[in-house]
Order: sequence, then C-alpha cells, then structure tokens
Amino acid sequence: MAALNKTNLLYMPSERLILSSRANLVQNILSWLGRAFLFLVTSVAAASVLFIIFYIARDAIPFFRLRGFTEFFTSTRWYPSGEPPAFGVLAIMLGSGLVTLGAIVVAVPLGVAAAMCLSDVLPFSLRQSVKPVIEILAAIPSVAYGFFALVVFAPILQQHDGRILAVAWYVLAVPFLFLTVVVLSDLLTSKIGRDSSRNTARAFALLAFSGGALALLLYVGKTLRGLEITTGTNALNVSIILGIMALPTIVSVSEDALQAVGRELREGSYALGATRAETMIKTIMPAASGGIFAAVLLGIMRALGETMVVWMASGNAAQIPQPWFNYLEPVRTLTATIAGDMGEADHVTGSARYHVLFAMGLMLLLFCFFSNLASEWIVSRQRKKLAGED
Amino acid sequence: MRLSTRKLLDRSFSSLGIISILLMVVTLLVILVPIFTRGSGAFVFRGTIEHRRLLLERFQRGDERKFEAEMDAVRQARQPVYDMIRSFEARQQLQLDALLAPLNTLAERDDSIGRLVKRRLKRISADEPFLENVEEIGKLAGRLKEHDDAASIQSEIQTLENGVKQIESRTEALVELNEALHELLGPAPGGPRPVLPRKQYGQTRWDRAQVKLHQLLYVEDWDYGGEGMGKKVYVPRVDQFRGTEIEPLFGYVEAHAEDLLRPRLTFYWGFLTDKPLDIHLFGGIWPELVGTIYLTLGAILFAVPIGIIAAIYFTEYTKPGKIVSFLRTCVSTLAGVPSIVFGMFGLAFFLNFCHIPKGVLAGSLTLALLILPTIIRSAEEAIRAVPQTYREAALSLGAGRWHTIVTVILPAALPGILTGTVISMGRAAGETAPIIFTAAASVAAVLSLNPMAAWSDPTAALSWNIYNLCTEHEAVDEIRHVQFGMTAVLIGVVLLLNLTAIVMRARVSKKLKG
Repeated sequence: MAALNKTNLLYMPSERLILSSRANLVQNILSWLGRAFLFLVTSVAAASVLFIIFYIARDAIPFFRLRGFTEFFTSTRWYPSGEPPAFGVLAIMLGSGLVTLGAIVVAVPLGVAAAMCLSDVLPFSLRQSVKPVIEILAAIPSVAYGFFALVVFAPILQQHDGRILAVAWYVLAVPFLFLTVVVLSDLLTSKIGRDSSRNTARAFALLAFSGGALALLLYVGKTLRGLEITTGTNALNVSIILGIMALPTIVSVSEDALQAVGRELREGSYALGATRAETMIKTIMPAASGGIFAAVLLGIMRALGETMVVWMASGNAAQIPQPWFNYLEPVRTLTATIAGDMGEADHVTGSARYHVLFAMGLMLLLFCFFSNLASEWIVSRQRKKLAGED
Repeated sequence: MRLSTRKLLDRSFSSLGIISILLMVVTLLVILVPIFTRGSGAFVFRGTIEHRRLLLERFQRGDERKFEAEMDAVRQARQPVYDMIRSFEARQQLQLDALLAPLNTLAERDDSIGRLVKRRLKRISADEPFLENVEEIGKLAGRLKEHDDAASIQSEIQTLENGVKQIESRTEALVELNEALHELLGPAPGGPRPVLPRKQYGQTRWDRAQVKLHQLLYVEDWDYGGEGMGKKVYVPRVDQFRGTEIEPLFGYVEAHAEDLLRPRLTFYWGFLTDKPLDIHLFGGIWPELVGTIYLTLGAILFAVPIGIIAAIYFTEYTKPGKIVSFLRTCVSTLAGVPSIVFGMFGLAFFLNFCHIPKGVLAGSLTLALLILPTIIRSAEEAIRAVPQTYREAALSLGAGRWHTIVTVILPAALPGILTGTVISMGRAAGETAPIIFTAAASVAAVLSLNPMAAWSDPTAALSWNIYNLCTEHEAVDEIRHVQFGMTAVLIGVVLLLNLTAIVMRARVSKKLKG
C-alpha cells in the first residue's frame, strides 16, 4: 500500500510540470549558478598553465635583474656555489640540445617507420596487439628508464667499449648500404637505351659502388672499434634511452596523422601503379607531413623535459664535449641541473643561485609552451586542409 | 627504375616498418626482463641463517625453537674459525714477550742506553692494547738506533726491528681478516653488541655471501708490471698467514661455507611490508609503498572531480567559441609542461607562497596538476562516446540538462572515465620530478594510516627512492637487490594499472558497439 502511494506521488500530480513564475525564476537562477560554477572550475583548471608560467617567471626575473642576460646565455662557466659564483648556462643548454638531438635521431626514423607499418602494412588484428606494447613503453616510469640506463645499460657500454658501437654500425649499415648501392646503380644506368649495354653498365656500376660501400663500411667499423668509452654514463646512453621514451609519442601521433589522410589518396596512388612504398613516401607522407612534424615536435618536448633519465645517466658534467658531437662524453642538462641543485639552493631563497634555476625552468617552460602551440596549430591546420580536400 | 628494384625497395620498406616494430617489442623485453628477473631476487633468494636471525630479532617472525637448534649447529661449525684466530692471537702475544727478553737485559746495563730502555719499558704493560705495546717497542728501537753507542748493540736492534715488523704486519693482516669475517658471519661471539644493524648481522643473502667469501679468501691487488694501467689481481689471503695457526682457516671456511651460513631457498614476502633497516641494507620497502599510495590517491582525489567537471563543461555546456578554444589550448599546453617544471611550481606556489609544508598534501596537489589534462581528455572522450540517443531519450522523459548528465550520461561514461583515471594513477605513481621538491624524503617514518595526521609529513616514495638508492646510497653495490626489487614493484604497479585500463577499455568499446 505504501509503495503504491509513493509511485502515485511521483507520477500523478500533473500540475507540477507547470511551474509558477517564482519557481521558474529560482530554477533559472540555479541553472545559471550551476553553469557559472562549471565555468569557474573549468577556467581554474585551464588557467593553471598560466599560473605556472606566472609563478616560474616571478622567481626567474630576479635572476636577470641580479646578474643580467649576457653571462646566462654566453658563458660556459657553471660554478653556482663558487666564490665568486658563475652562472653560465651555455654548456648546460648545449647539453640539453645534444641529448635531445640524439634522442630524435634515434626515435624519429624508428617511430615514423613503425607508424607507417601500423597504419598501412600490418593487418588490423596484429595492429591491435602491437598497441599495448606502445602503451606499456609509454607507461614505464621515467625513473625506471633511468635506473635501467644507469645500472644495466651503462656498464654494458663501458665493458664493451667500441665493439658494441661497431656491431651496431654493421647491423644498421649493411642493409642500408646494400639498398643504396642497388638503387644508385639502377638510377645511373636507367637512361641508357639499349638493353644489353645497360645491363653491362649496371653490373660495372654495382661492382664499383659495392667496392666503395665496403670500404666505407669497414673504415667506419674499424674507427668505431678503436673508440674507448671511458664512462658508460654519457650522452649516447641518455640519447638512446630518451629516444625509446619519445618513441610512443612519435608513433601514435604520426600514426594518427597518416590515418587522417584517408583512403582516396592511397587508392588513387595505387591505381596509378605505385607500389606501397612509393604511395607512402611520395603521396601519403607529404599529405601527412604536418602531423608528422607535430609528432617530432612532441617527441622533442618529451626528450627535452625529461628529468630522471638525464639526471641519473648523463654524467652531469657541465662542459661542452670536445668536439661538440662527441656523444661518448658526459653532459649536463637543464632539467638535471634544476633537480640536482634545487636541494642546496632552496635554503637560500632569494639568492641568484635559487633564481637561476627558475630562469632555466622558465626557458624550458616557454620552449615547451610554444612548441605545443605550434604543434596544435599544425595539426588543426592539416585537419582543415584534409577536410577541404575531401 | 627497374621493376625488380622497385619491388626490392617496396619489400625493404615493409620490412623496415616491421623491424622497427619488432625492435620496439625487443626493447621492451630488454628493459623489463632484467628488471623483473633481478627484481624477483628481492623476494625469492637463498637466505642464510643470518636472514632468519634478522627476521626473528627484528620482525618477530619465524620459529624460535627451530632457529635456536639450527643456530647451535652453526655456532659449532663456526667455533673452529674463532678458535684458530684466538690461538693465533696468543702466539702473537708470545712473540711480543720474546721481544721483551732482550730489552730487559739491555735495561740492566749501567749506561745511558740502560736508562733509556728502563724508562721506556715502564710504558709497556699488559694493560695497554697489544698494538700500542708493539708500536712502543718499535719507537724504542728507533731511538736506540740513533744513540751514539748504537754500534755496540747492533744485533739487539736488528732483532727488535725485525720482530716488530713481523708482528705489525701479521696483526694488520689479522685485523683485515677479522673485518672480512665479521662482514661474512656477523660479529664474533663474546664481543659487545655493535650499534649499527649492519654490524649486527652477517650476510643475509647467499649471493652476497659468496662475494664476501671471495673477499675473505683473496686480497685485491694491482699489478703495475705490464704496460699502461695496472691490472687487478687477486692474491690468496692465506699467503699472509703461511705457517701460522690461521693457515687452515681459509680451507675450512671455503669447504664449510654452507655449514657456516646454512643458505636455504627463502620467499621473503616481507619485502613489501617490512620497514627498512639501516637505510635499506636489510628489510623491506613498506614506507615507500605507503608513500606512493598516499601521493597517488591524493592526486586522484584532487584531479578527478575537477577533471570531470571540466569535461562536462567542455562537452555538454559549450558551443565552439573564442573563450572555449582558449581554454582548450590552455589544457593541452598544460599537458606539455615538463614534469620538473611542475615540481618547481609546486615549490614556488604551494610551499613558498601558500606555506603548505613539504609533504603529502603539497606533493599530491602538484601531481594532481600534472595528471589533470589526461583526466580531462579521457573524461571528455568517454562523455562524447555516450550515444546521442541516450540524451534525447532522457530529455524526452522530461529530465533537465543537469538531471540528464548526472543520472544518464555520467553513469554511461563512468567506465571510460575510470579507464582514464586508472591510467593517470599509473602516471602519478611513477612520476619523480614533481615530488622531489614538494614531498619526497629519502629516509622517513612510515606515514600514519590516518590521512589527517599524515598530510603534512614528507614521505619516502618508490620512484624517489629508486633514484636515491642507486645514486646517493653509501653502499650502492650492496643493495642492488633492493634497487631492482623496488623498480620491479613500481613497474609492476604501473603495468597492473595500465593492464586494468586496457581490459576495461576493451570491455567498454564492446559494450558501446552493442
């Protein structure tokens, strides 16, 4: 009986659907207030990035006021606790740049090749099982990567010296040089009209090029073999690990870009008789170039902003390697300097030593801010363009 | 280009892609396999009697009677070792006494030499430490050598010097041997109990014990005979004790190592739930685990409500416009801020400006900011994935917009939102840089389980302590198993969260497809 009454109460009174003007006003105000609350929370969440910029800048500016700009950007002397202190950040910035460059060199070819494979080569079911691998690579905490770099990878590098470099070179260079030789001799002789003379010319070209390639292969291999790795915690180690960490970002963003190009372009290219490789490289890549560039930019941000790996495994020596591309020397990066020095500097809040770290952080932040804006803009422009073409 | 070359290029293009994907898989294995295999060594290993003693004394775990019986057998096995050392010490004392005999005859002389010796002999007594007596005799020999009449007592001086040299070198070797024994087996019976836990116990793990056994049996030396840098060589320690009572000790220890330590396969689940002892030389990782859980849950607590509200606003309440696109850009740039900058912001804002103490709350807030963009994005996606028909049906039944969102859309989007939350939890648990300045402490007491008491305490955390133990610890090589174990636990937690998310997502997409 009671249950019945309750249902009646809920569904019976039809006059409730018509609101009095007062109730209507209350409801309108409530709905407006709710909206305002939602907007407020959302803006706080969104504005926190501006907040971050403001608070980092607030502590960064006193440094430039105290010491000016010249030393920070042009000197390589980094002795923050020396007497007198020196705050030259050039070597540290170059260190950051060096490992980021290395990471990109490792990650971009691999990542873009993997993305193309995922979007156009592998069947759907296989693609679904590769996805978790990428997700797990992205999920592994950076400190675990750093631990691996320091405890597992660095000793391997140090023990095997140049041999490991030489092996890597042979593995990478043999197939690449082989393809280059074949393609080059083919291209050079393709203009010759008669079949028989073209074939002989090609044979000669093949011989000549493979001789050159073999010489190059062995020469570089021997040079690498002779190298000595004095410390395993160096720019090379960090670059490889950062490259691995940047891979997932690059793969997933460039795969999205490749997928966004759509079927029509692919089908048109195939219809004209192009192979898959030609379709991908000559048609799809240019159409997706914006997205791939955005992927590279995001990869750069990931590598540049990474702290733990470089702090643990880069050797933390504030110096410019001699020569600058010597990846076997230890380097020091902006992020590692901030992480390492803040512990001593935050006792002396207000000193140049404290503020210089915020100046470094501001540089990192601004770089990432603008690259992020740029990548967003590129992706949205490409999306518009592709939509227009469709 | 010839057709065959084009085909070759096409094939190598495909294989390049496949190889790079394989390479990714191989990389993943190369990273995970050593971490997990060596990390499991923290849980499963051959534990020695010292490990069982540690568990019993420090954590009150284990069968006391069984242990005592075993320990008695071990003590018996160890006794010969200490007996050998004691008889060697006795012989050293005899040798010292033998040196005193010629000195006593010298003291009876009636010249300046006699007076000097007599004066010096007073400083030598059985109460003084053995080594100081030896040193005193050595000094006396030096004085005698400089004496004007030194020529007359040449032979005595020679005997003294040789004797002192021999005793000194032997004693030095004995001290080193005792230290090596101490590290392997723990303190010798009868002595006072050492203060530091690391001195109270011998090697608890058989793999470490073997390293220490090698250090006991061999002395590390450098051979500079060849070209260039010196080569490391190992000289048997027994060479220092040829012809003494200790000579058989080395053979005995090597042959009876298992009897001295009784290694046995041990499953040490306490690694997760035990407190660490003596900066992680013994014990488990409980404080780190609790700290990580606190920080992660705290971050989720702050970020999820805000994230969901922002997602609702973005999906249900806005039309494309300048303000909204500006807000969206802000959110996506927040995702691109380097993690160390979040840490700096936490330091500058939460700690220095708001005066929140360095601890769980400040760390959680910083981490919450870090995971906010991920949560907003995933919640948005989940809400968008709810079919439009749901909304229309709810509206047609007379529900208001807010009512629709709360009773229809959010429940339908909940699995998707949870997926994003779980992934963000993994991210928050693994991040290190944001908590360095805001929450992390290398050595901290276990947080109280009452959040009201714990919010302001700095805490240990898995991620931070992995860094700390493998770079700043004083005995990095001794605790490799703890480092690997901690890393394996952290990766295990993160992977578990991610696998949960992957499974959840698969089920959600199946459900939405119908």
